[in-house]
Amino acid sequence: MDHHKSHHRGDKGRPSKKPKFSNKDDHSSKFVDDDDAYYNEDAEDDYRDGEKEERKRDFSKLELKPDHANRPLWACADGRIFLETFSPLYKQAYDFLIAIAEPVCRPESMHEYNLTPHSLYAAVSVGLETETIISVLNKLSKTKLPKEMIDFIHASTANYGKVKLVLKKNRYLVLKRLLQDDVISRARIVSENLHGSDGFTVSKAAGEIATGHDGLLNEAELAAAAEEKETHSFEIDPSQAGFIVENVKQRCLPNALNYPMLEEYDFRNDNVNPDLNMELKPHAQPRPYQEKSLSKMFGNGRARSGIIVLPCGAGKSLVGVSAACRIKKSCLCLATNAVSVDQWAFQFKLWSTIQDDQICRFTSDSKERFRGNAGVVVTTYNMVAFGGKRSEESEKIIEEIRNREWGLLLMDEVHVVPAHMFRKVISLTKSHCKLGLTATLVREDERITDLNFLIGPKLYEANWLDLVKGGFIANVQCAEVWCPMTKEFFSEYLKKENSKKKQALYVMNPNKFRACEFLIRFHEQQRGDKIIVFADNLFALTEYAMKLRKPMIYGATSHVERTKILQAFKCSRDVNTIFLSKVGDNSIDIPEANVIIQISSHAGSRRQEAQRLGRILRAKGKLEDRMAGGKEEYNAFFYSLVSTDTQEMFYSTKRQQFLIDQGYSFKVITSLPPPDSGADLSYHRLDEQLALLGKVLSAGDDAVGLEQLDEDADDIALHKARRMAGSMSAMSGAQGMVYMEYSTGQKKLGLGQKGKPKDPSKRHYLFKRRFGFIPTMDRL
Amino acid sequence: MVNAIKGLFISCDIPMAQFIINMNASMPQSQKFIIHILDSTHLFVQPNMAEMIRSAIAEFRDQNSYEKPA
Repeated sequence: MDHHKSHHRGDKGRPSKKPKFSNKDDHSSKFVDDDDAYYNEDAEDDYRDGEKEERKRDFSKLELKPDHANRPLWACADGRIFLETFSPLYKQAYDFLIAIAEPVCRPESMHEYNLTPHSLYAAVSVGLETETIISVLNKLSKTKLPKEMIDFIHASTANYGKVKLVLKKNRYLVLKRLLQDDVISRARIVSENLHGSDGFTVSKAAGEIATGHDGLLNEAELAAAAEEKETHSFEIDPSQAGFIVENVKQRCLPNALNYPMLEEYDFRNDNVNPDLNMELKPHAQPRPYQEKSLSKMFGNGRARSGIIVLPCGAGKSLVGVSAACRIKKSCLCLATNAVSVDQWAFQFKLWSTIQDDQICRFTSDSKERFRGNAGVVVTTYNMVAFGGKRSEESEKIIEEIRNREWGLLLMDEVHVVPAHMFRKVISLTKSHCKLGLTATLVREDERITDLNFLIGPKLYEANWLDLVKGGFIANVQCAEVWCPMTKEFFSEYLKKENSKKKQALYVMNPNKFRACEFLIRFHEQQRGDKIIVFADNLFALTEYAMKLRKPMIYGATSHVERTKILQAFKCSRDVNTIFLSKVGDNSIDIPEANVIIQISSHAGSRRQEAQRLGRILRAKGKLEDRMAGGKEEYNAFFYSLVSTDTQEMFYSTKRQQFLIDQGYSFKVITSLPPPDSGADLSYHRLDEQLALLGKVLSAGDDAVGLEQLDEDADDIALHKARRMAGSMSAMSGAQGMVYMEYSTGQKKLGLGQKGKPKDPSKRHYLFKRRFGFIPTMDRL
Repeated sequence: MVNAIKGLFISCDIPMAQFIINMNASMPQSQKFIIHILDSTHLFVQPNMAEMIRSAIAEFRDQNSYEKPA
């Protein structure tokens, strides 16, 4: 049990019902590859904490303040903070908490947050001072702040801002400011001492890095810099700057040297890089939360690197464009595929006064170049990171991208891009400021933590339910529709020889088909809604779409056809339903849709669930109808069809966790279609059902599997039985309590996802690196 | 001539009946326990099988339910 606990901090003595999985865990933590060593350190920390757990559970000694009823917070010694959302001070307390702590779970009445070194690092980086953090926290807390918490805050914030990373004339400099002004004035001798010991730290750091990377740091320069009294600086070997910068930054994070780096860009005083004349158009009115996120980024008149988390449909692109408009320097905007490149270029033109010849797209299809000495380039991660041979034209453009000093590196959907892709992009391009945008800071592998040093701390994260209440995003009714398996399908499902067809069998379950057909009909005819049906399973996608005579888009659909179908869906009154494979998960912009029916999905991916929900989050209808008490309680619907008694139930529950943590609840519907619908819907007669069954069984194993897009690199981890403790902690899940990954059952249950010829996890790692992230629509 | 066989009468939903039938089918001949499949939701089985069936179903259901790691 003790060991078990060490891996799941949250598992407080609750009897575990899945001991078999924790065994697997033991094996997996022995897998040590590059980054894992770093995670294992975390795991050990957790282990020590685990023993103290029992003591921390006892809150009886906490002293309530006399006026506790007026205060909204409960602060616990282990760093957890609970916020009462019904408190009159909720808004203020929320704004403050989101700046200093990680949200763990945010249901309607009570939010849970967690203080972590990274979250505090983010807090000080947006300008909060240690004493302010402690005093405000104390003011809001119902109890006296535990000493442990105060110490923790001190320890986590003490060193912030002493090390600075600066990009000057295309060279990276690491500056170390040893003495704050007040320290100097207080005691000269003490400061000399301080100086000495700190100087040692930095050279040790440099030494470590240097030995690790064969003297990549120029020791001579370091020594020369150390002569100076107030600032130590050393330059990073320009030839390999990208990779080293990353290492230096990683070493400086709280779990290593604990000298979190300050990365700020004083763009107003940057006279070296030419200005780009662009302003927000008057009609671009950022909403309050967009303003807030921008104010975190530009808090002190400079631009900070970091990540802004907003739900899909909440207007991430306006935040990105606004940021670019404030910095007014050349901007490199990276998107995940060619379609979203077009969308970003469009957004720039829509919201800002940028001239057409100052913005260009760089994709396999359009290789534009901007005129003048500053501009915006929109491209994909692949185009930049691509390692193979390029055409002469691309080569020229990429050379320009590499050689330029970018004011802003704008990165869309940072959660989907594999870490190695990031490394490559960041090492190839030189930028003063990096802004990452995402809706779901959750991944099924452990790479979320990497974003901390690759981009920067999380600057802002919106609360979904607050945006719903404000009418900024749609109010979605989430429902899980339980479809019982028919006798014949379930009988085949149970047979050992069909283990590879399990997915096809539960997706093609005639009862599910009928429920889907019923829902489409209901929403099309009764409400006039626009519906997206998602199916990961290509076989099912085709069968459903053909049978119901609806258009579909999947990986192999050409760009032209895609555009045509989407256009018809947007404009035509006859096309109200489209079928999408997982190509539709991200960045296909379909603002019209307000109903999603999910008939099959990628195992237990929480991110996919959230991304899909995001497709319908864009607010529709009149604002007053949407507000609380308006005409429509719900204006968007998310149905997940699940065949009961199958593995799908397991995945379905797991997938919902992220949304549940955002405060959503899933309603279970058991009686769809209604019993009297009979022959109105397809597959009513047994012989039809049997014919369908025959089709599923006779299809090849490959045909009934999942569609495998190359961009799935992130989900590769799903196929491996491994998980790490505490690894997601830093950014997404407050010490892994929520986002702990369980790749359970995959092996045990025989998922039928193995053995596909294109499975990227089976590729040689060299090829995986190269092809790891190439969306099919973006042919190079 | 009336033949009386002592047994256990199981009433369940359609999928679970299929589960039990499949379980029975995977057993060697000597251990088959279903005496009669009465209809799609009713079975008549050997009287001593209750526990075995119950635990097999419990395990099957456990595999299909996700429990949030606390």
